[in-house]
Amino acid sequence: MTMTPRERVLAAVSHEESDRVPIVVGVSNATGIKMKPYRELKRLLGIEADDEYLYGWPELGTAALDEETLVRLGSDVRGVLDLEPAFVLERNATRPPHADYINSWGSGATEIRPGEWFPMVCPMASATTVQEVEDYPWPDMDDPTRVAHVATEAARLAAENRYAIMATPWLLFPLERAFAMQGMDTFLMNLALHPDFAEALLWKIQERCKVLMGHFLAALGDNVDIIKIGDDLGTQESLMMSPAMYRRILKPIHADYIRFIRERTKAKVFFHTDGDVFPLIDDFVEMGIDILNPIQTSAGKMSNLEELKARWGDRLTFCGGVDTHRILPTGTPDEVRAEVRRVIEILGPGGGYMVSSVHTVMDDVPAENILAMVDAVEEYGTYPIARRGSA
Amino acid sequence: MTDREELLDELYGFVLSGDVDQAVGATQKGLRSDIEPTALLFDAMIPALEEVGRRFETGEVFLPEMLIAANAMQGAMTIIRPLIVAAGIETIGRFVMGTVAGDIHDVGKKLCNVMLEGAGFEVIDLGINVPGQAFVDAIREVQPDVVGMSAFLTTTALEFARNIELIEEAGLRDQVKILIGGAPVDQVMVDSVGADGFAPDASSAVRMTKTVMGIS
Repeated sequence: MTMTPRERVLAAVSHEESDRVPIVVGVSNATGIKMKPYRELKRLLGIEADDEYLYGWPELGTAALDEETLVRLGSDVRGVLDLEPAFVLERNATRPPHADYINSWGSGATEIRPGEWFPMVCPMASATTVQEVEDYPWPDMDDPTRVAHVATEAARLAAENRYAIMATPWLLFPLERAFAMQGMDTFLMNLALHPDFAEALLWKIQERCKVLMGHFLAALGDNVDIIKIGDDLGTQESLMMSPAMYRRILKPIHADYIRFIRERTKAKVFFHTDGDVFPLIDDFVEMGIDILNPIQTSAGKMSNLEELKARWGDRLTFCGGVDTHRILPTGTPDEVRAEVRRVIEILGPGGGYMVSSVHTVMDDVPAENILAMVDAVEEYGTYPIARRGSA
Repeated sequence: MTDREELLDELYGFVLSGDVDQAVGATQKGLRSDIEPTALLFDAMIPALEEVGRRFETGEVFLPEMLIAANAMQGAMTIIRPLIVAAGIETIGRFVMGTVAGDIHDVGKKLCNVMLEGAGFEVIDLGINVPGQAFVDAIREVQPDVVGMSAFLTTTALEFARNIELIEEAGLRDQVKILIGGAPVDQVMVDSVGADGFAPDASSAVRMTKTVMGIS
């Protein structure tokens, strides 16, 4: 049985087995590859293609993979992204070298070493009142240049009908945007010290996200299979905030946002959330999340793939699971293959799993290991897959 | 309860609940009432922070509550610290801390600093994006017992090995214990870079520091 990549993905997210476990590489930052390993990959493969960046955004540093590389990596998805407004792209393209990168939200990144940018420009760092939320010059999400390209790109992919279309507007995530506006520790403190302000800020950001998401989904029409959103909620050990605080403040915001999306598209909702989020997975299911990413196996209880599969495998599709803390950067290609096999044999049976690295493939990952990861899917990911531990 | 006990109890509560203004106020009030700075520190603030650390480890509180408690402690410490230094009270050790070059993540590092200071260490924080040479210079200049290096990314965790190599080349490795911390850090990394230990969170950082220094 040979299926198209799109059929393969649609089967997986419907919890059905296909010809093999799908591969999600490239197409978004969280499933992407940084420029340095991408260049090494191209050299190793003898592929000549330009160095392009996701979102046309060099400071993010994540490569927009060329089609030949995507085919070699067996990626079963193709991406559609939004863009910052044309005037913001132009302003940043023409700013003095090494000056801070400022986005349409007014937050931005500072270059701490040549070519290394971190989000350090936080325009609301000192805000603590609801009035300051109301007074802030929030970005215009109706600027048509943000999504002008979306309908054409999605229609082209849909006409081709070969790959699943995964749409990822950049960081329409309320909590992470609040971190960007205030600084992470400042906003976490405000959640405890000034909950009315924190909640108002999150709702305001979510409202802006919804406006852009509405335009983005309208431009996509039916030409989308997966829509990616998220918010990092976990740490290495546990959650950033208590389950009670999540349920009181952030969950209603996420739930409303997901409802908004589901009212406008049949696409599956892909939710990216780093760290150990084990205590919130029932909440994710309840809110209508279809696909959970990145399954950070190095963080707390997320290492317990058997339990994840047993408890939520019939309702959630897992995407990710290939460790980027140790295996991909420092493992041998054989260790990478063994880990991919292990993860596939736990999460793969019955569908509901798509292979991807746990977050972006960073500069320390050898290109050989990226190839080992995807080649192992061809080797061990063909259905039927024997459940790990069974004969 | 005496007035003294009542005030120490209040200060304990304000640090625990992360109310920086009230913690500062109670500290000032305590000093006006002739309560010794060391009593405010050791009988109120430190027990409060230890309790927050305990609750964090058991999952009763999370980052927001831990951060505001640390913030309240820091607020009160700005008043207490000069008095303690002036009184010539010995700290239990000197700790140089920094986020390695190429990395700016410092939420965990800040929490470690407060917990360490609360446990009686003198903490010298070199900040974020700290070049390897700055760690070497700091070891020469302030002669710490322990150096702590933090990295959030696997790519910047490569700096641990480079920095330890620099410290070795400078002939200073025997003079300090080196602890590492941050998301990608585990015992495998400790062994591979030649550090003396790691801690997964701020309260265990205190325990690990005492362990490598050989104090209980």
